[in-house]
Amino acid sequence: MEPMPKALKALNRITGVLFLAACYMVLFYAPREAVMGDVQRVFYFHVAAGWVGALAFLVTAVAGAVYLRTANQRWDHAALASVEIGVVFTFINIVTGSIWARPIWNTWWTWDPRLVTATVMELIYIAYLMLRQGIEDPDRRARFGAVYGIIGFLSVPVTFLSIRLFRTIHPVVIGSGDPTAEGSFDMTPKMLQAFLFSLFTFTFVYATLLWHRIRLQRLSETVDALKMKALAG
Amino acid sequence: MFLNGAPADTLNYMLLGFGVIFASMAALIVSMIARFRNLHRDLRYLDELGQTDSEG
Repeated sequence: MEPMPKALKALNRITGVLFLAACYMVLFYAPREAVMGDVQRVFYFHVAAGWVGALAFLVTAVAGAVYLRTANQRWDHAALASVEIGVVFTFINIVTGSIWARPIWNTWWTWDPRLVTATVMELIYIAYLMLRQGIEDPDRRARFGAVYGIIGFLSVPVTFLSIRLFRTIHPVVIGSGDPTAEGSFDMTPKMLQAFLFSLFTFTFVYATLLWHRIRLQRLSETVDALKMKALAG
Repeated sequence: MFLNGAPADTLNYMLLGFGVIFASMAALIVSMIARFRNLHRDLRYLDELGQTDSEG
């Protein structure tokens, strides 16, 4: 396995600094929300985690489409790596939403369209990871993953649009204005800066993790190939 | 809860939320480091095995 590229080492450092800065902005720079109090600070990373989930699943769909055209295993590695990261960040998004909802909606969970579609999306990609494990042949596994990743991506726009298309109590942050939403708030300039900086930072976190995860997958494939060779010899 | 003029006391929920965020991200990173280490260990064993075979 080749040593870690200098660009990746630099990306590690940049992402670390950005993450610390984002934590500072969210916890100290942004003002406390006038009604909800401190729990509103979770919102910045809650949305950023949701953004990373959607971005990760988009990358999976694109990588899957490119794999189907080129049959290059590198694209399958990227698709798998991206799903794993997307599942973790979607989990963060759902759980932090539930924690925010407890004091604001007075419940941990409600069968709201956004909550349901986000959870279905998460389950679709957990199933992707589980089903891949059941296919031995690498080419078949990659083809299956590519098709599943493309079809599964339909759940992402459905989740994004659910609060705009259906009657819901979930706040709409971008393009807000629904009077029936509970927990809506207007962002002050400092809140908006913390929000945009969190989105920016989490994009870097995603890129860094993706690069490491792809390298891990390539190492795994190398070890598997050597094991097969040792067994055959 | 929200009608007395002051912000609601929701600090514990905030701490719980950030606890989940940091713990989940740490779990992903630790899991990746552990898998890297295991694969490097396997690679070393396979190298040693290859050398033993070539000597034998």
